[in-house]
Amino acid sequence: MREIKGFTTIEEMEADAARLKEIACELCAETWEDRKTSQQPQCKFGEEGICCRICSMGPCRVTPKAPRGICGADAHAIAGRHYLRMAAAGSAAHSDHGREIAHVLHKASRDGSYQVKDEGRLLALAAEWGVETVDRDIYDVAHEVADIGLMEYGKPFGTLKFLERATEERQKLWAAEGIAPRAIDREVATSLHMTNMGNTSDAEVLVRQSLRVGMADGWGGSMMGTEFTDILFGTPTARTTQGNLGVLEADQVNIIVHGHDPAFSEMVVVAAETKEMIDYAKSKGAAGINIAGLCCTANEATMRHGVRMAGNFLQQENAMLTGAVEMICVDVQCIFPALSRLADCFHTKFVTTSPICRIPGSIYVEFKTETAFEQARGLVEMAIDNYENRKRDKVFIPTHTQDAVVGYPCDQIIRELDGVTNSHLEDRGSYRPAIDAIRSGVLRGAVAMVGCNNPKVRPDYSHIQIMKELMENDILVVASGCAAQAATKAGLLRLDAKELCGDGLKRVCTLVGIPPVLHMGACVDISRMMLLVTGIAKDWGVDVTRLPIVGCAPEWMSEKAVAIANYVVATGIDTYLGIEPQVKGSTQMMELITEGTRKITGAGYIINKDPHALVESIIAGIEKKRGLLGI
Amino acid sequence: MKKLFDRVFDGADEMFALAQKTIDETIAELGESAPLAMPNTAYGLAVYSAYLAKNINTLGDLKAAFEEAKAWNRHDPRLKHVFSTGMGTFMAAETIEACKYAKGPDPYKGEYHGHLTDAEVRELGVPLVTDDIPGFVVIHGAAPSDEEAIELIKGYQTRGIFVFLLGEVIEQARRKELNMGFPVRVVAVGPDIWQVAHIISFVYRAAMIFGAVQPGDRWEFDDYTFYRIHAFVNAFDPVSDIVVACGAGAIAMGFPVITDDEKDMWRVPKSILIQKDTANFIETSLEARDIKIKITNIDIPVAFSTAFEGEIVRKKDMRIDVDGSKFETFELVRTAELHEIEDHCIELIGPDFDTFEAGSSIGFGMIAEVGGKNMQSDFEPVFERNFHNFLNCVEGVMHTGQRDVLRIRVSSAAYDAGFRAKHFGEVLYAKIMSEYDAVVDKCQVTIITDPDVLKKERADAKKLYDKRDERLGSLTDESVEVFYNCILCQSFSPSHVCIVTPERLGLCGAVSWLDAKATNQLDPNGPCQVVTKERVIDENIGIWEDVNECVFKSSHGSLEQVTLYSIMNDPMTSCGCFECICGIEPFSNGVVIVNREHQGMTPLGMSFAEMASMTGGGVQTPGFMGHGKQFISSRKFMKAEGGPARIVWMPKALKDLVRPKLDRTAQDLYGIEGFTDKIADESVTDEAEALLAYLAEQAHPALEMEPLI
Repeated sequence: MREIKGFTTIEEMEADAARLKEIACELCAETWEDRKTSQQPQCKFGEEGICCRICSMGPCRVTPKAPRGICGADAHAIAGRHYLRMAAAGSAAHSDHGREIAHVLHKASRDGSYQVKDEGRLLALAAEWGVETVDRDIYDVAHEVADIGLMEYGKPFGTLKFLERATEERQKLWAAEGIAPRAIDREVATSLHMTNMGNTSDAEVLVRQSLRVGMADGWGGSMMGTEFTDILFGTPTARTTQGNLGVLEADQVNIIVHGHDPAFSEMVVVAAETKEMIDYAKSKGAAGINIAGLCCTANEATMRHGVRMAGNFLQQENAMLTGAVEMICVDVQCIFPALSRLADCFHTKFVTTSPICRIPGSIYVEFKTETAFEQARGLVEMAIDNYENRKRDKVFIPTHTQDAVVGYPCDQIIRELDGVTNSHLEDRGSYRPAIDAIRSGVLRGAVAMVGCNNPKVRPDYSHIQIMKELMENDILVVASGCAAQAATKAGLLRLDAKELCGDGLKRVCTLVGIPPVLHMGACVDISRMMLLVTGIAKDWGVDVTRLPIVGCAPEWMSEKAVAIANYVVATGIDTYLGIEPQVKGSTQMMELITEGTRKITGAGYIINKDPHALVESIIAGIEKKRGLLGI
Repeated sequence: MKKLFDRVFDGADEMFALAQKTIDETIAELGESAPLAMPNTAYGLAVYSAYLAKNINTLGDLKAAFEEAKAWNRHDPRLKHVFSTGMGTFMAAETIEACKYAKGPDPYKGEYHGHLTDAEVRELGVPLVTDDIPGFVVIHGAAPSDEEAIELIKGYQTRGIFVFLLGEVIEQARRKELNMGFPVRVVAVGPDIWQVAHIISFVYRAAMIFGAVQPGDRWEFDDYTFYRIHAFVNAFDPVSDIVVACGAGAIAMGFPVITDDEKDMWRVPKSILIQKDTANFIETSLEARDIKIKITNIDIPVAFSTAFEGEIVRKKDMRIDVDGSKFETFELVRTAELHEIEDHCIELIGPDFDTFEAGSSIGFGMIAEVGGKNMQSDFEPVFERNFHNFLNCVEGVMHTGQRDVLRIRVSSAAYDAGFRAKHFGEVLYAKIMSEYDAVVDKCQVTIITDPDVLKKERADAKKLYDKRDERLGSLTDESVEVFYNCILCQSFSPSHVCIVTPERLGLCGAVSWLDAKATNQLDPNGPCQVVTKERVIDENIGIWEDVNECVFKSSHGSLEQVTLYSIMNDPMTSCGCFECICGIEPFSNGVVIVNREHQGMTPLGMSFAEMASMTGGGVQTPGFMGHGKQFISSRKFMKAEGGPARIVWMPKALKDLVRPKLDRTAQDLYGIEGFTDKIADESVTDEAEALLAYLAEQAHPALEMEPLI
């Protein structure tokens, strides 16, 4: 057996983290590990979802002695309401991000900071929404499309337009079950209303609304975010990049963009590429300007510009601990407020840019669409000026870096599959080759690996371990968000990672020319995965829920993940979780989210905190679905 | 629908059961200690060797190995196990076939080809690297009709694809009287699916010979077959489970299966393709295996393909016989000024073939005049020597000889199809313009049958040949400024590199220094690059720093030094497609040389195949070296060890071929007359003891030379 070298192990990653932790200790700087320790023991009532803080009669906690709150709400109602509120908040976050992008598209102009980069994508969406395009200026079309998109947030009647993209079976099912989402904001508001004091206490109804508000995200706000981002900044294509903290450069001005909304980071990237800025950096003794990404902003920027990825959620403090970062500028979501205090220990400028995410102690520069480029240039200049303040003797940049191929939205996946079609037998432009590989047994199935990091489990370990075991079992992985970054750091996005796979997946990777883990983007791009699975279902001729394709979020933590899990299940895809949703205090809720939803959508959660047991259940689940299909 | 993997597992079980039965019966008949060897190969049972690194010499060995092979037949639903089950099926198939050869070296009595020899593997080395054979197809089963079978086979043949036939398609081809055999690249391997073992053995030997892949190194074998052997399968309806099991093995090796059987058949991208229209098999298959055919459109009424290179036109089928022993014949390339050439002008001087009686012997001359801004007269003989290859690709034309002694036959079938004298011109024009377009801008061809003109032009041509010989004679390793390397073979033999010098042509015999020079000029980034020779380490035995640097780089670091004129110290490596192999003969202090065509033993107690297996794949093996035939008479032939005087044994045919030049070299170097006669051959002996006696009797100079070891 040939030895495959150069992959980064979890132990090597942990050794790097440990060295950075030492630096933190030397500086008496606090990190998440310290805060996690001081939070122990964590509140059991909170963890089980049975502490109600919805009205000021409370807080009410459910115990055997006190099985109901003051109003009479039982554990099922309390846990159910909490669960729905999490889903609603997650949906609000993703969807508001989508709305921001819609506003940018609405203001896009030929000579402004933002232009339409993918006209084809715009015209396709215009056609889908019945917008006139003949003899019209492309920007008029863009503005009308944005307008329609924005109306999806608050239209008084009807359900979401994107639902029509789903399989017919799904559309019928959603209508019949009464879970087809109406306007996005309405579903969020309704969820808050339903969970308000003195409203719904029926857990099943709360779970149904969770599915609905989740879909308002996945088939609404998120999908719009993805769609409009592609129109504005270009639909991603496969490209090479690198990942992990080793992408920071010792002799360059390092600027980290962090968060989720690419509207802002795009401008920073553009500004840093100007000759004027590069020359300015050189005049200050730097070899150049190095932009690196954290979290999903990294995923967005790497797919479109090849910007290198410094790491995922639990790596944000580590990036600053290297002492080599001149500036971290952040937009929205998953930003540790702790970065502000940590920045005090270093020369790093910590810049917040969105009114959605204001953090005390940060430098606040509110980004405006109209002046985005000038503002970005100003920030880059500020970072360059800060280069001379770097304390060179305190710099430690871990050397582990991995090459990666990123950027596989649905269009790119189809393009790749076209390469293995035979022009004498079949048409291009479908998922047929992938379906044939799955039906014949060469591939056993596919898993969408998504989600965050969570200090409740060993960071990245579950992601990487599960992906590796899936790969060995000929199961293709598509990944987004922090899961995709974990795969990047381990080297699983390299083309030669196929050598870690079973013969089936290896052969597919070789013939198609792809890595075994396909990077599909940020967490907002999980909507791409819904379209991918839908496309496969349509080409196969069976509904989504029968496909040997499932989702897995082994280290999730954000409310956004709850929204995502709900729309994934609503789409008919089993979802494997490595962290328990905070409803364990209610047996009825546990039953509802694992089995109850199956009666509604055909899918549910499978929960296991042990990653090895979890991956075993994924493989068993996939094989069971294969058996039912007779393949 | 029966699952694909289950079909593989069931089919494998069938093959294993048959193998068990066969080996049990054979052992019952011959006993476990009965010797077992496949003929004319140094690789034993190559399939077993590749997978298990087993040396199998007796039926007992085979039985033990077969027990190990059973572990490969593992029925778990993962492609890994499906692949190993497919490969295990090949071992079971080889078991069945080997049992036949245990009973005698020729179980098929000429009816089927069966086992392929090492020499046959090696023969394909050059055409594979030059893409003259762009791929292999294995056709199994019966085509819907005899006509369709023939159409398919001929379709592949005209595209240069090497065809292996298994099963009923052979009978179909026979009914249609198709000319089959290794030389025309259509091989009727055998009537049953288990004869597939011979094809797989052939492929794995190519990996061992050209790729230096070590027995048992499954990973390297998989890579080699996937990336370097462009083979695929056409399986006709009905495809049974046992064929599907073999298909799994083929797909594991990287060879897609194209079939018209839909029942219980599963599409797998680029691996299993269901093409109901068998007329589309060829195009579907070539695309599936990513084979692109170089197409030269030549305006002639018969087919043109490298597959016809080995075709023989027999006397009874002959319409025209160009006979250089009785008539004036010649072929010539000469450079002319661009303005003197009318591009694509084909002129015939004298009567056409119609005017001659069927079967007539005639005189014949061909002059190709070429011009171009980058044309050099040194390229003339390079182009001219390729007339042989060009003309032999014409279906129904056989060309032998060179310069002013030619033998050309045109078959009655070609003549009936409309093939005439001017078509020789069309072929030469098209090939020269397509192969040498980097230096030839214009070309015109004159064909001569008129006896008077022939006489005059042949005399002029002779003057030119003499001039070239003079130039060639003056070309020595010392007189030229640079050498060339040749990495043409690296598509098959990734770490081999030849250093081509005026006195040491490429070991395949196909690339002389002038060829390499022309190749370099034609494609400056191509397989032949300039190697400077400025930093001398030892010019006498052939070591230069520049050469070593080139060898290190071109072999991707696997070689550090070569001594060009030695076979003992850092000798040049071999790719595997060498014409001859020489190896030291310790008792006489000399070397034995044997050419690929020679089937018999040598005084080393080894055949060509066995000696050849000692080297190849870009590995340095002191004491053994592959080389071209023309190198034998070179002054640089093992100069470090004393030169050609070391040669003590060669097959007679080879002696006859090299005699004139070798005698002259020996005369010049040692003052020995008729040296070739002092060399023993198979008519004298193929045993070491008798060899020594003969050499003593002949006062062979090697006996007096310093010990080699």
